Amino acid sequence: MLDLLGGFSTLFTLWPFLYLVGGFLLGLFFGAIPGLTATLAIALLLPFTFGMEVTNALVMVMGIYMAGIYAGSITGITLNIPGAPSGAITSIDGHALMKKGEGAQALSLDAFASSVGGMVGALILMLLAQPIGALALYFRTPEKFSLVLLAVVTVTIVSRGSLWKAIIAMTLGLMISTVGIDPMVPKGRFDFGSYHLVEGIGLLPAVIGLFAICELLVQATIPARNAMGVAVADMPRLRHRDFVPDFRIVREIGAWLYIKSSIIGVLIGMLPGGGASMASFIAYAEAKRTAKKPEEFGQGSHQGLAASESANNAMCGGAIIPLLTLGIPGDAVTAIIFGVFLIHGLVPGPGLLTQHADAIAPMFAALFVASAFVMVSVIAFGPFYMRLAQINRGVLYGFIAMISMAGVYASSFSGFQMWMALAIGIFAFALRRFGYPAVPMLMGVILGPYLEKFLRGSMIVSQGDPLIFVTSPFSLMFLVMTAVFIWLLRLRPGVRG
Amino acid sequence: MTGSARPNGQAIFALVLLMANTVYASQIFKLGVPFSNGVEPGASFLPVLLSAVLYLAAGRILIAELRNSRSVEAPAADAKSDHVPAIGIVGPLVIAILTMGFAAGLERVGYIAAAGAYTFAVALYFNFEGGGRLMRSVIVSAMTGVLITSFGWLFFVKLFDLYLPTWSY
Repeated sequence: MLDLLGGFSTLFTLWPFLYLVGGFLLGLFFGAIPGLTATLAIALLLPFTFGMEVTNALVMVMGIYMAGIYAGSITGITLNIPGAPSGAITSIDGHALMKKGEGAQALSLDAFASSVGGMVGALILMLLAQPIGALALYFRTPEKFSLVLLAVVTVTIVSRGSLWKAIIAMTLGLMISTVGIDPMVPKGRFDFGSYHLVEGIGLLPAVIGLFAICELLVQATIPARNAMGVAVADMPRLRHRDFVPDFRIVREIGAWLYIKSSIIGVLIGMLPGGGASMASFIAYAEAKRTAKKPEEFGQGSHQGLAASESANNAMCGGAIIPLLTLGIPGDAVTAIIFGVFLIHGLVPGPGLLTQHADAIAPMFAALFVASAFVMVSVIAFGPFYMRLAQINRGVLYGFIAMISMAGVYASSFSGFQMWMALAIGIFAFALRRFGYPAVPMLMGVILGPYLEKFLRGSMIVSQGDPLIFVTSPFSLMFLVMTAVFIWLLRLRPGVRG
Repeated sequence: MTGSARPNGQAIFALVLLMANTVYASQIFKLGVPFSNGVEPGASFLPVLLSAVLYLAAGRILIAELRNSRSVEAPAADAKSDHVPAIGIVGPLVIAILTMGFAAGLERVGYIAAAGAYTFAVALYFNFEGGGRLMRSVIVSAMTGVLITSFGWLFFVKLFDLYLPTWSY
């Protein structure tokens, strides 16, 4: 039984609490800087987690996750440059309010909605994680294979742009995962005679290469004047008290809109490939559909702002559910959190909540408390948010470059892994230049070993009979869900033109 | 030159992927047949499947691109920098070379010298590109290098007890 009260009491001891605050501030900073994301912040943290206790590492990651998703909207509102893709929808009405001279109130309502969404997401996580985890204990290899297949297919088909490019990115990730020792028999594959490759390509160089090195190379192509946007000199001077939300407006928005948008966020978060951008878009569309004055959406609607922001922070709790209970990361951030677990010898999936409840309970508490921090942070730091996009790029990218490369070395003691991170980074840069998405590739690297192990394990059990995947009810359900998602997300839009 | 028959960047990249896939596929033969015992998938089963999917998808993109006179999804043109010529090529090239230098030098000259030089050079690139004033950029980047290198040492070695190489001569 998960001791949630125990989780809160552990969280409020000195070191876990400091790690949470540190993670929150790091997430706030990375989320708010255009071009940097919570994903990159957690990727950079990955090497450090080798030296941390597992509870502290998970608590810190939760702080980064919640703050990073929230902060993506800060520069979206102030400068119309979302710090992260998750802030793009919020920017539509947020920046319109900014232009009307209601910037502080927009930031405040944005933080309030994020806080409510984050808390609802954390509460649903606490409520659902255990029952789903208990159910998942009944899953055998065919069910596990079908579930991983569902994640692989869904992450591929929800990627923006060309489906063929998303398929290639996923296939490349799966190919990378086949390098090294075979998961079923002790036999090296694709090592090209190098003993370094017999060990396989680690998750850390893949994450650092795909997100940190690739981002560094991308930023090197962008002139400073394009990256930094408008000058802050024209911004009004604001005081801390300007960032206290106007509860008259909160009442006008209505409790139901916050709750409905949060539930949408949680549900989208639970889907593989869902993510914050999709959550905020769907909640925004739903709020507009049911609004009394839909014409205000896009012109500075408080409801539009609240709906998108509640949903994208509620998504955090939703995305954690399949990761912890089924061992399925649904997006890039949860894929890297998966790596944090593996580094500490914990395998996400059925049994994790019962076997390592003491490590997981503070993580749940951290997600809830980090949501409350969001509201506090806007009052404390609101006046400085206007200047976040003006940080010196030399300092920023010098820092990212050093942390990335030294981090890979420090956590692997291997110069080869550094070269591997660089090679993956250069390759990811080329992929990005030609419009290939990075997230399916990372998911392929992470899910590949499981996909292959469960597929081959099931086929050995059934003596080569593939019907094993449709005779189990759960496996059949996951396969039907895969087919339904393909129809809804790719085929039906094509049929409708 | 009309350009109508000239392969575009997308097509060339798809071709590169096909060549890389061929290198990958060349190793599959060492793994035995896809089905051991005639029915159970073996070590080469998934690689064969993945290789086939990549040939199909990259081939599809290559053919579609070759049929079009211009790429329908060409990379967006790079913005121009006031201080770095051809920033879209020079920028990533500089950063990649500096990173290779760091990877090559870390174990030879130790963390302090390698990270100091690396962060200085990366910061110098971004500062010079932003302001164009060389002396000011050198001074700011030198301070940046010292600060970030010290920060890295404190965090990796002192706080998290991880190993970073020191000068070994």
